[in-house]
Amino acid sequence: MPPQPAVELEDLHVTLGRREILHGISCRLGISGSGRAIGLLGPNGAGKSTLIRTLLGFHAPSSGRARVLGFDCQKERRRVLERIGYMPETDSFIASMTGVEFLRVMGALSGLPEEIALEKAHETLFHVGLGEARYRTLGTYSLGMRQLARLAQAIVHGPELVILDEPTNGLDPAARRRMLELIRQMKDEHGMSVIVCSHLLADVEQVCDEVMILKDGRMIHHADLEAERRENRRFVELEVEGESAGFAAALAELGAAGVEEAPGRFRIVLPLDFEMVRLWKLAADQGLSIRRLTQRRDTLEEIFMKAMGLLRQTPGEAASSREVSAHGGL
Amino acid sequence: MAVYKRGYQRYTGPRAGHLERLLVLPREAWRRLSSQRIVTALLALSCVWPLLCALFIYISNHTELWAGLDRGFSRMLAVDSTFFLTFMKVQSVFSVLLAALAGPGMISPDLGNQGLALYFSRPISRLEYTLAKMAALVWLLSLATWIPGLVLFVMQASMAEAGWLAANWRLCAGLVLGFWVWVALASLVALASSAWVKWRLIAGAVVLGFFFVLSGIGVLVNAVFRVEWGDLINPLRAAYGVWCAVMGAEMPAGLSLGTSLISLALMAAVLSLALERRLRPVEVVS
Repeated sequence: MPPQPAVELEDLHVTLGRREILHGISCRLGISGSGRAIGLLGPNGAGKSTLIRTLLGFHAPSSGRARVLGFDCQKERRRVLERIGYMPETDSFIASMTGVEFLRVMGALSGLPEEIALEKAHETLFHVGLGEARYRTLGTYSLGMRQLARLAQAIVHGPELVILDEPTNGLDPAARRRMLELIRQMKDEHGMSVIVCSHLLADVEQVCDEVMILKDGRMIHHADLEAERRENRRFVELEVEGESAGFAAALAELGAAGVEEAPGRFRIVLPLDFEMVRLWKLAADQGLSIRRLTQRRDTLEEIFMKAMGLLRQTPGEAASSREVSAHGGL
Repeated sequence: MAVYKRGYQRYTGPRAGHLERLLVLPREAWRRLSSQRIVTALLALSCVWPLLCALFIYISNHTELWAGLDRGFSRMLAVDSTFFLTFMKVQSVFSVLLAALAGPGMISPDLGNQGLALYFSRPISRLEYTLAKMAALVWLLSLATWIPGLVLFVMQASMAEAGWLAANWRLCAGLVLGFWVWVALASLVALASSAWVKWRLIAGAVVLGFFFVLSGIGVLVNAVFRVEWGDLINPLRAAYGVWCAVMGAEMPAGLSLGTSLISLALMAAVLSLALERRLRPVEVVS
């Protein structure tokens, strides 16, 4: 069986009231069971929450189709919901329940047999760091603890796909780090697909493998972050000191393409899997000393800004790049 | 191995069936209800009248206990539709009080902290959620209404002379059906009140108001305007009309089974609509 996308949208239109919120989104996100995290980005009002709620079956598409793990979100809603966990953005909890009761009930509602639901409730609460507070009522939890409890209820039943809506909102730095670490564990150690909807680009960049950027209800960019990172590692700016006349030709022998923009200044496109140490060795062989070596790397912020139309290109092809000191090496 | 040492492991075993999953909600709601002492106390108090009725049935079926008394007294001791209608009137008041006490805690705690999104992001629909919550309330009210009523009927049937059961089977049907209608209405009112009113005390007052204030208004409308459509907003009278009709007892003046059924159906529709408007995973502002 070919790998199934975690989420598949086909010309998805969603109208709430008389206003169309999502205008024909089509894409395939993630791969079911691959443990990939997908970042859902966009400014306020872009339609991120509407898209998530459509995937959960809260809103019906006015036309088009949304499939999660191969099941139609409307026609096979129950089968979809059996397989996913959802952590809402809003502070949702049942104040009068203890942590264990809350997770036991949520787990049992998701299909865990009763005795296993209780066991998993304890296990998950320890996992997210609420083990000591598990017999306290949720009403007495701090905001950060409630956030963790919401994450716990989303994963207690071991879903294939977890949807996290603004998971790090309102968390202090330590709690935020903990939350991101838990998300990373969910995908890397437990093979869950994760959708992270967040305004915080740094958070998405840390944990996500691909991003989808929405603007005004339309998908304006879909990027595989890992591939982009790999791709960007190929572009290098180099400044050398010494007689560099034969350097461009020598680069070609290594399979790299280099252009001398000004005396001693090269822009180079490296082949895939090129080890940077070969470039250093070549410069040394040619009797050149490297003054500056800049490896371009689009940050997610740049990808986002470009997608939003706020940035035409990576600023100066260098300003946004990660400068690597010649002395610091690579 | 201790849970805290084991670490999180994703569950991949067999899942519970849909019905088993659905039963989690009424069970949880019932656990919450039964932990409230005041509900338990009122439930116990609601058993007093059925016990008195049982004593009455016992006395009425032991003629030797009142052999020396006159005929008027013996007529008073008859176990007939009047007896069961009186029983139903008293127990329906208890059921309203129970609904007013227990109902407000059914939905508002989930709504108050936006917990509905957590329920509806699981394989459970809004209708199933409502029915599951209602089931706990229906069971509670059943303990005060048709279950003791049925016990009384069986008691009377077993003590009475042969032929009583055949002649009075409609009483049993009326008792059970009549109380089912009543319990369903009271549960709907309690759930709707719980869904719309956050504060328990006020939500309870709304339940009482629905039955008693609305009935008062209905009577007032009839009296002031000299009309009969006031009965349409009188839940007590509408339910009483259904009870009388099913039991084969004499209908109150100016009331028909049709009017009663229309009235109850209208109320149920309005209450269901109120619940439908409120029980949504997310608010949509368009």
